[in-house]
Formats: sequence, C-alpha cells, structure tokens
Amino acid sequence: MVNIEIDEDACVGCGSCVEDCPNDVYEMDETKNKTKVVKVEDCMACLSCHEICPAQAMEHQDIHVAKRLYIDRKVNYELDRII
Amino acid sequence: MEIEEIRGTFKPELIPKETGGDLDDYEDALHVLMKFMGSMSSALEQVSGRGANAIVYQAGKRMGHESAKMMDKTDNLEKALDEMGDVLGHEFYFEKWKPSGQDSYTTQDGDQVVVKLLFMDCVVRQTLRRTGLPQKGPLCYLLYGYMVGAVEEVMDIKGKIDIDHVGPNACLKTLTITWSGK
Repeated sequence: MVNIEIDEDACVGCGSCVEDCPNDVYEMDETKNKTKVVKVEDCMACLSCHEICPAQAMEHQDIHVAKRLYIDRKVNYELDRII
Repeated sequence: MEIEEIRGTFKPELIPKETGGDLDDYEDALHVLMKFMGSMSSALEQVSGRGANAIVYQAGKRMGHESAKMMDKTDNLEKALDEMGDVLGHEFYFEKWKPSGQDSYTTQDGDQVVVKLLFMDCVVRQTLRRTGLPQKGPLCYLLYGYMVGAVEEVMDIKGKIDIDHVGPNACLKTLTITWSGK
C-alpha cells in the first residue's frame, strides 16, 4: 500500500496538489494552511502531484516506479563525474 | 566520438553475431527512435491537426489486431486483459485499477462493461518526455488503438478507451466494451 509523506515545513499551502489529484487524495488543512492526505487508498501513484508541487513537499513510498528509458546514461555518467 | 567499425565476412545464410550490437548501441538506437517518433508526432499534428489522432489510432489498432492474432479467443474480459498484458509486456505494463469505494474492477452499465486500467510503464510516455511533448497528444492514441484492436480481435466485440488522467509515473484509462456491438 502506498504511503505519502508531506513535509509540512516545505509545503507552501498553494493547494495545487488538491486541485490536480484526480482521486481527491489530498485536502487542504484550513487551520494549518497546508495540504494533508485524506484518501491514501485511492492514490494510484501517477505522481502528478510531484510534478505540480512547487516545493517538492511530498514523498510517495512503496510504489511502482516507472522505467525512465529517456534518461541518457552517458550524460548521467558525465554529470556524476562533474558533481 | 570514435565510431567502432565492424568488419567481418558476411554469408547470405547467416547474420554475424557481432552486428547485434551491445547495450550502448541499443540505447543510442532507442534515443534516436524516441526523437524520431516525437518529431513525427508533432509534425503530424502540425500538418493534419486533430486528424493526427486518427492516424496514430489506426496504426495502434493494426498493431493490436496483429498482436492479438496470437492470443486465444475468449469472451472473458479478465482473461483477455491478462493475455493482452502478456503481449504488451513490460514496456506497456498495466494493471486493473478501482477506487477504494468500488467492490469489483468491472462495472456493468446496460450492455456495456467498464474497467479502469492503470498504465505504469509506457514507452509512449517516455518518448513524449524525451522530446518534451505534452501527454494526451496523438502518440497516446497509439495505446488507445492498440487496446481497442486487441480487444476486438480477442473478444470479437467493440471496445473504446478514454484517457482519464495522465501523470509522469502512471496514466489511468477507462476501457469500455459493448457486448452487442461489433
């Protein structure tokens, strides 16, 4: 089962994830003005929320991570060497 | 970059093993193909507008029909989906999906059966991200056509797919089949 961790220090309370999630996994916590997870069982790990979150405040644990064959291994190798 | 030339003897009845290439060769070829597919998709859209979707859909449908010819014919949707999953393989890895409040994966509506499919690994998505193109464009209609073609071939009924949601890690699609339709 998916587990979603929200970094409350990072969350800016913009509500983008709440609007973007097709399965209403998130809701705004009006008192804290932060997002909160309310329906984790409906999360399909599409990770649209990761893409839209300006603060990268969420982490999905124990999900199927799709292959990324578009990653250029040679470029990555060179980047690793530089960094 | 230095290009290594392969030299050897070539007889008509055999293909030298060394021409098969290594992982780097496959990676290079994959990236070139991704770029090619991406620019072809945007060029198609530029030239034929929404007609691009129909062209790619038709190409996918042909692929679906061709692939499904190898599968056992069945009128069991679950079995058909399992077989299609095997043929599509890891590059189009999908699973049935349902919201937590729903009891079964399939829902019946008159003579229609609806099932939601979660596509997790998808070469089309990777191609679009490689070339910086948005999802839900003409290339996504390849899978649409593929599933419809395969369903039509295996179950001998009419099917359609709607894209519910697209994401960087998974896409949710709804497959609707009509029992009476052909």
